[in-house]
Formats: sequence, C-alpha cells, structure tokens
Amino acid sequence: MQNILFLEHIAPLLQHMLVFLGLAYLFTKTPVFTALASNSLTLPDKAVIYLVFSGFCILGTIFSEPSIQSNDAIANTRAIGAVLGGLLGGPVVGFLVGMTGGIHRIFSMSSIDDPINYIDTACAVATTLGGLFAGYVHYHLSRKSRIEALFSPRFVWLIAVAVELGHVLIILLFGTLSGEGMAAWNLEKEIALPMLIANPAGVALIMYMIREQKRSCDELSSNTTAWRIANRTAGIIYTRFNQESSRQIAEIIQHETRVGAVAITDRDRLLAFSGLGEDHHRPGSPISSRDTLQAIKDNKVLFADGINKTYQCQLESTCELGSALIIPLRDDANNEVIGTIKLYESRNKLFRNINRRLGENIAHLLSGRILAGRYELQRELRIQDQYQLLVAQINPHFLYNALTTIGHIVGKQPDRARDLLHYLSDYFRKNLEKSADMTTLGHELEHVNSYLQIEKARFEDRLQVQIDIPGHLLDQVIPVFTLQPIVENAIKHGTSELLGIGTIRISCIEHNDGFTLSVEDNAGLYVKSGANGIGLKIDERIKMRYGSEYGIDIKCEPEKRTKVSIHLPKNKERA
Amino acid sequence: MIHTLIVDDEPNARDDLEKKIGIDSEFNILGTCANAFEAIRYINSKRPDVVFLDIKMPKISGIEMLSMLDKDTMPRIVFVTAYGEYAIEAFENNAIDFLLKPVKRDRLDITLARLKENHQPQPIVTETFPTKLKFVPCFRGDRYYLINIKEIIHAFSSPTTGVHLVTGDGGQEFQTNLSLKVFDDNSQLKRCHRQHMINPDYIKYIEKLDNGLGRIYTYGNHTIPVSRNYMDNFPAIN
Repeated sequence: MQNILFLEHIAPLLQHMLVFLGLAYLFTKTPVFTALASNSLTLPDKAVIYLVFSGFCILGTIFSEPSIQSNDAIANTRAIGAVLGGLLGGPVVGFLVGMTGGIHRIFSMSSIDDPINYIDTACAVATTLGGLFAGYVHYHLSRKSRIEALFSPRFVWLIAVAVELGHVLIILLFGTLSGEGMAAWNLEKEIALPMLIANPAGVALIMYMIREQKRSCDELSSNTTAWRIANRTAGIIYTRFNQESSRQIAEIIQHETRVGAVAITDRDRLLAFSGLGEDHHRPGSPISSRDTLQAIKDNKVLFADGINKTYQCQLESTCELGSALIIPLRDDANNEVIGTIKLYESRNKLFRNINRRLGENIAHLLSGRILAGRYELQRELRIQDQYQLLVAQINPHFLYNALTTIGHIVGKQPDRARDLLHYLSDYFRKNLEKSADMTTLGHELEHVNSYLQIEKARFEDRLQVQIDIPGHLLDQVIPVFTLQPIVENAIKHGTSELLGIGTIRISCIEHNDGFTLSVEDNAGLYVKSGANGIGLKIDERIKMRYGSEYGIDIKCEPEKRTKVSIHLPKNKERA
Repeated sequence: MIHTLIVDDEPNARDDLEKKIGIDSEFNILGTCANAFEAIRYINSKRPDVVFLDIKMPKISGIEMLSMLDKDTMPRIVFVTAYGEYAIEAFENNAIDFLLKPVKRDRLDITLARLKENHQPQPIVTETFPTKLKFVPCFRGDRYYLINIKEIIHAFSSPTTGVHLVTGDGGQEFQTNLSLKVFDDNSQLKRCHRQHMINPDYIKYIEKLDNGLGRIYTYGNHTIPVSRNYMDNFPAIN
C-alpha cells in the first residue's frame, strides 16, 4: 500500500521538476543571468532572483499533489525555488523567497472551511528556513571565495537533501507539538521519499544547467574579449619583445578587460604597466614580486585572489592592488618561459571567474605573437647576416693581398705556396658554402685556421697567433660565423694597424653550463661601430637564440688590448 | 740609375716588388720600408727618385703620407694597392701611376718604361688627395706617436737633431722627420723665425723688442723669438 502511494507521487513531482527546468532554462537566457557570473549582485539582480524563485515556490505549491491521507498535506516541489533562491541570491533573498512561498502555502491551502493547521505552519516555516539555510551557504562560500562550489550539482544536491530532511523533521515536530504525531508520521511515510528524490534531483539538474549556460557564456565573452584584443594588437609588430611594443599591448589589454592594471614582464624586468599604480610600477625596473619570479621559475599560473592569498606590492605599501593573476608567457617549442603577463585588481574588487580563463587566453595569444615576432626577427637577421657575409665574401682586397703573397712565395717555397692555396680555397669554400645555421666549434676553428694561415703569410713575423682551446669542446655546437668574423676584425681593425708585432690569442674557458670563447689582440683600437657592426649582429643572434645571459662582451684598454668574449651555452645537439 | 724605395707593410708583397723591379738594371733599389714613419725618414735622408707606395698601412696611409713630404724634395710616387677604387680616381686625374695588386709583370713594365722616360715628380692634385696635415708622425726615444696638429704649440729645428715639436699637453717635446717647410705648406702653424714656428691659437701676447725683433709668449709659458724677416706674419704688433 505504502509503496503504491509513494509511486503515485513520484511521477507528478518529476513532471513538475521538468517544468522548472524549462523555466530555469528560459531564465538563463535573460540578461539578469549574466549577473550570476559575477560575485557582486546588485539590488535589482537580487530582486529578479527573488521574483523568479518565489514564482518557482508558488508554482511548486500550485502544482502540488494532494495526499491520499490528508487533503492538506501534499507532495510538492516548493523547496526547489527556496533552495535555488537562497543559493543564488544569498541569505536575505533566500529568506524572502522561502517566506513568500511559505505564506502563499498557508493561504492557498486554508480557507474558512479549512483553517490553518499544523501542517500549513510547518510547511511555511520549513520553506522559509530552507531558503535561509541555502542563503547562508551562499554567504559562507562567498566569504571563503569558493563561490564556484555553488555551481557543483553534487554539492547543491546535498544542500537540497539537507533542506528536505529539515522539512520532514519540522513537520514531525509540529505534528507532535499539536498532538497529531501519528498522523504526521503516516503522512511523511507517504510523501517524504518522493520529495527527497525529486526535489534535490531538481535542484541539482537546474544548477547543472545554470553552470553549463554560465560556462558557455563566460567562454563566449572571454573569447570575444580575446578576439577584440587580438584584433586591436594585430597591427603591433612584436619583432622585439621590449618596452616599446609591450606598452601598447598592455594598454589595449587593460582597456579591453577593464581590470585594475596590466603588466608585461620579460624574465628579468617589467616591460610595461598600464592602470592603477602606474606611478610606482616603472617599466625597465627589475621584477620585484616574488610570485612573478616563482611563476617564471615553475612555469605555472599563480593566482593571488585577494582573499586566501593577497597580493602585496613590494614597491609601495599604499599600492591599491590587492589581487593578481600571473600567467607565464611560454615558448612551447623550447619549453621555456619568456616572460609573464599579469592582471591586477584593486583591493576592493575581486576577480571575476571569467578573468582567469581570459587571462590564459591573452597569455596564449601574446606568447604566440612574441614567438612569431622572434622568428620573424631571426629570419630577418639571418637574411641581413647572409647579405653582410656575401659582401664580405666579395670584398676582394683580402683575396688580392693573399694572391700577391702566394705569388711571391711560389718562387721561393713552392710547397708552402701550395698549402696556402689550399687554405685560401678552404676559406672561400667555407664562406660560400655555409648555408646551415649551426656548426661545431671544431669546424669553425678550421675556418679560422684557414684564414689565419693566409694572414700569417701576409704579415709573417708581424703577426703572432696563439690558439688555446680544450679538445673536448670541439664538438660543441655553435651558430655559424660566430668566431671567424671576430678573429677577422681583430686583425683587420686591430693588429694590422700596429707598427710592431701584433698578437692574437684565441682561448676558451669552460663553465658549468656554458663556455666563453675569447679573442684578444694587443692593439686596443676597438671603437664602437654602431648597429652595423658585425660584433653586434653576432651578439644579437646569440641572444635571440639562447637568451640574454649569452652573447658578446668587449673590453678594450686603449692602445693596449681588446678582448672580445663570446658567451655560449653548452649544446651538443644540432638545433 | 733610378733610385727606388719600396714601402709596403706586407713583407712578401715588398719582396715581390723588389724582385720584379730589380730585374730591370736601370733601377737601383735603395731599400724597403714597412710603414710611413720609416718611409718619411728614409725619403728625407736618402732622397730616392721614385717611391712605390702601398696605400693601406698602419697608422698613416700612403695617401696621408704624401702631405707629410716636403714638396721641394718630393720623389715621384707610384701607388701599389689592392684597392681598385683609389686607382679609378687617380686615372681620371691622370696624376699618379697606380699598380693593382697582385702586380702583373707586363703592367709593371709599362710603369717602369714611363719612369725611365721621365721620373721627375708630378704635382699631386689636391682635389684627389687632401694635403692638410691632421696628424704629425713623431718619435721620442724609440717610440712612435701620432700628434694632433691642433695640440702643437711650437715647432723648431735644430741643426744637429732635426725638427722638434712642443705640445700643449704638458709641454712635452717630440721629434719628427717632417721638415718645417711641410708645416709651412700644409698646416696652420706660422713661421716666426727661420728655425721656429708657432701655432697662432696659443699666442698669449707678443712683445716688440728693439731693432725690429720680437718675442712671443705662449699660454704654455714658452717664449719664442720673432725675427725681423717674419715680423710681417704678425701684423698686430706692427
């Protein structure tokens, strides 16, 4: 008998639930729904939530199924409205929704013929308390900044079960208090189980749908913003990841996302800052935030949400910024971090959930831009290099002077002349054939040696050369034309300008993770030649490839010596 | 016999030319020099008829060297260079003979034939080669220096030790192989005495003495005599 009663109730309750699901779906299509995506509900938002879910409560009562035992007690879905109203709107809204549903319950089920009895009161109180409880859960989660848990169907299912059990207990309590404990018990045996099954399931399903709607809504808006940023930054040439290009990009991102501030850093320095705190976050200064350095080191997104973990500006204690999302800019191909982008919000605002996803989208976009720019620059440099080298190759003076020397030596030392011709052809062949990017140190030294043999023959005793490179480093891979042009410059602009004996010393020092090639001359005639200098080009190329800690540095003691040091990483694989 | 000097900083290029020219018995190779410093001294002392001169040399190029030679004793110059771009200019002016490295036997023979016909010095066309001195090759002890002409206060010649220069930089004294005549022609230094020259920028005041003589006081606190013949160079005190 009981089983049949129970079955009779469950099917209609599920039907009601489906109606609510449909209504809730319509609700997600209203503009108010977007407000649910944020933490901060305005009063009108709350009013709408109140109206919608009070409506659910009232409908739940109207649809209700009369009990077979008592025409007052009915299996209903009123709780769905109260729980959802509280979860989404907070304690006040939850309370009001519950109360509205409760009062409606009292008056719709009573009349002069059928005065208010304990069941009416118990239902009203239970619904009100249910709404209040759900509202408290909202309040609690929002304080703990775990508002996203609200949208977990499993979690809200548990809340709804708790509310439903509370409902059962309240009816039993009120029944006992008004001396009708046995009737209340029988009633609950009939309707408790169907309601426990239908209502939490309804709440969970509706919340699931809200979450999915919210997610696609977030994604859409994040994609739209990312797309707008992509569009607006499309014209900015990011061939150099520096302050100038980053400044424009930071401004656009801040404008489009409307966060408090946006910063872009490379691995060491702040490149651009736009927004709150611009006065003390100065582009060009070293990174001061430990979180940022951590994000770079671990290649991880760091989120100081302002509640569990606050962001504290290291520069200025009065800085308004209170939360920060730090996302590494990644070079996926080389699996390294090239910098970070940081989105900040001021202390009195919390990040909207959407911004994390958006931030990641922007970081992805930006990394792509930077890498594309880098590639473009590298290609450009290579073309320039090739052109420059081509010019060097057809510079005939070296060849004419070499031929004059060899021409003379042929007469007196034919064997040496033959060797010199081999060196000369080696030198030109290597210049002409180098189309690959990389070579080994050993090969580069052969090229250098061919060149030096000719120069030694030209200057004879006026040129002394000393080469001191550990044999085990000869298979290190280096970019082509890294050492050779430096040696050539040391002679062309250095020792050949000396009246006395010129000395060139080529050496190599090994470090833990790299090595330094040095070319030292005793002329000390180095003058900065500006952007067109081959040294600068080589430096730029090395930095491009390996990062700013590598490259060339030049020390010159005028009239005494010039030492060019080339810092390179250890690298045995061909790139 | 045509007395010849070869100047080139590359020993094999030098020897090569020496050997090739030496075949012609009309040419007597006096010697070879490896740079302009040596060459100026050599030319001033040995007075060769012809100099085969490399252009690209340390510190002082062959072209710069020309402005450091006394016009009166200037030898005939043949440039020898790997840099064809100089040759084009020179041929256009038809001023100076040029040999391009590597030097070909038949091209050298043409030059040698021309020299045999006429080895008088040719006037150097000034538009092609700047003749104003910017730097002066000097020596002190066995070290060479290049002194900016603007730093020189005073130049004087001594019958025994040649030309001396005093600089504004602490009043240091250097010797040079350039003659005072070269400074007369190619610099702003003014002759105030047969054996003295002064940089007008450093004159503090000039004292007029009896019998038409004068005395210059410099900012470096040197006093330099002004002789009667050169008083006209300093109109302010007349």
